[in-house]
Amino acid sequence: MRDLELPPELTVEHCLELDAREEFPDALCDSLTDLGAERLYLPGVPAERLLAMIRDLAGRDFTVALAHCKTYLGSVATWVGGSPAQVAGLAAKVSGGAVVSLALTERDHGSDALAGDVTATPVPGGYRVDGEKWLINNATRADVVCVLARTGNKGDARGFSLFLVDKHSLPAGTYRCLPKVATHGVRGADISGIRFTGAVVPADAMIGEPGRGLEILLKGLQITRTLCGGMSLGMGEHALRTVLEFAENHRMYGRRLADLPLATRALADSYVDLLVAEAVTVVSTRSIHSLTGEQSLISAIVKYYVPTLIDRTIQRLAKVLGARALLMDGPFQKIWRDHAIVGVFDGNTWVNLSTLVNQFPALTRGYRDARVDQEGLAAATGLKQPLPPLDPGRLSLAARDGCSLVQSLAVSPDAPEELRDRADRLHRSMAEWRPRGREVPPELFGLARDYAQLYAAAACVRVWADNALDDVWLRACLARVFGRPDEATEHLLDLTRRGRPFSFLRGVTDHDT
Amino acid sequence: MTLDHIRLWLRERVAFYVERTPEEIDPDAKLVEVGLDSVFAMSLSGDIEDEFGLVVEPTVAWDHPTVNALADHLHAEVA
Ligand SMILES: Cc1cc2nc3c(=O)[nH]c(=O)nc-3n(C[C@H](O)[C@H](O)[C@H](O)COP(=O)(O)OP(=O)(O)OC[C@H]3O[C@@H](n4cnc5c(N)ncnc54)[C@H](O)[C@@H]3O)c2cc1C
Repeated sequence: MRDLELPPELTVEHCLELDAREEFPDALCDSLTDLGAERLYLPGVPAERLLAMIRDLAGRDFTVALAHCKTYLGSVATWVGGSPAQVAGLAAKVSGGAVVSLALTERDHGSDALAGDVTATPVPGGYRVDGEKWLINNATRADVVCVLARTGNKGDARGFSLFLVDKHSLPAGTYRCLPKVATHGVRGADISGIRFTGAVVPADAMIGEPGRGLEILLKGLQITRTLCGGMSLGMGEHALRTVLEFAENHRMYGRRLADLPLATRALADSYVDLLVAEAVTVVSTRSIHSLTGEQSLISAIVKYYVPTLIDRTIQRLAKVLGARALLMDGPFQKIWRDHAIVGVFDGNTWVNLSTLVNQFPALTRGYRDARVDQEGLAAATGLKQPLPPLDPGRLSLAARDGCSLVQSLAVSPDAPEELRDRADRLHRSMAEWRPRGREVPPELFGLARDYAQLYAAAACVRVWADNALDDVWLRACLARVFGRPDEATEHLLDLTRRGRPFSFLRGVTDHDT
Repeated sequence: MTLDHIRLWLRERVAFYVERTPEEIDPDAKLVEVGLDSVFAMSLSGDIEDEFGLVVEPTVAWDHPTVNALADHLHAEVA
């Protein structure tokens, strides 16, 4: 399922040089555009195809991935909430290679979007936009910026609207791009900002109806947050490839590093972490199409679970690599720095866990009543099943019936007893908490983590059952999800060292293409 | 289903979530001002479904942001 062969000049060495000079990968981004990468950002493209490209690109260099794929993040709100004319207009620009950026964050307001200070005031002929967006990927390079601005009262969820601002159509002097911010990872990326002063945009720049901005944006982010799993997968795979190669060749105490039992275990654990991350990300990406109404939960789970898991994996791999993890001439240190960002942007870990906590009432109810969308679930987990096109009208800010995948544990004959017991216990604990409409108590973050872990285990079980995967694969994955040692993990590593590709699931889907 | 019944139920629900007594909830005050987080307010849609068998958008409390406004809306929907 490869839509795009990466440009030959996109080499790890070249990207390391650019990073050291904090230089934007202009030529590489142009090559990607010449190859037609932006086709994958258009509405109607199956999410799995975009995921595959993000994973491939992030596996080579994350700065380039972030710089190019950002156009999808900038466009997605329009695909989800725009009028047919807006969708067509933006699709034409994206097809023509336009860079589109999303400006949500402000200097004083990170996750608390309802506190936003940028305003859009109705004026004859449109809206006047004032204020500053900061820490914005591609703010300076962008042709079009999708801006969340206040059109009503501060703190009111219906007080914000989204605008597609075409920088080329703004009169000079009504906006200014802010200097590039020096960052720990992705050093070459254009992480900057934009300040509007009386920038008048036409009325039809508003995406959807007045006051719908937050809702449309959050629906769009359900898609991008899920796709963030692909970034972690690509970088995690790159890190493992790098360390495995070293460990296979580095000799000490008369044998290869990879054969020291402690190193073997660390490599095997890391490899199986990647298999778990793959199962979770692929199932969740397919769910965008077939369990669309549950994506508020699913995207929060992926965006919390996968980057957190791979952060730990990279940390463990760094210890296998040793001193070389800290040297600037290899790719590992860049992967390590770059990956740290995934858990922060596009909704940080805490925001995603809070999203889960806020839906505990629906989750406990859904589990109790064993509500399962069998058809949608089968399409998500059966990797060869056809998927319907995404109907954005089915995206919802809350999953009324909870999470089919986890709830299927209550009724599925394939579910291992251990999982069902864990699910029973967890839902009981969740139900014991009195729901609160204000701050989330710290203990509930722990339950949300347990829920995400259960989701990951359930994803593995269903993927295994529905695609006739090896029993060893499932044993190893479940052992990793619950953090217990199992020789199955080392057996899998053995297969990889004898030439099996890292991905198990690509093997399933590529079979007949 | 009378409007009074819906209003009473809703006021109790909101009071429960923000840990106050129903009498302390001004039915004309914005739910956010009463202390109900707007993201959390979406779970009211589940309660509404359980209580009245009525399927509403999770954002219903965003569009009808006070106890009285929401009760009016639900009353019209049930009718
Ligand atoms: C490389 C990079 C690229 C970026 N690109 C973009 C972009 O293109 N567009 C854009 O709009 N923004 C972008 N951002 C901004 C980014 O999305 C925000 O910075 C981030 O989502 C908000 O997190 P924060 O740590 O900045 O701030 P805050 O949200 O203020 O978080 C600070 C701390 O508060 C705590 N916290 C926050 N929320 C909660 C909660 N609900 N419960 C408990 N604790 C909590 C956590 O400890 C958190 O670390 C980018 C940032 C970086 C670094």
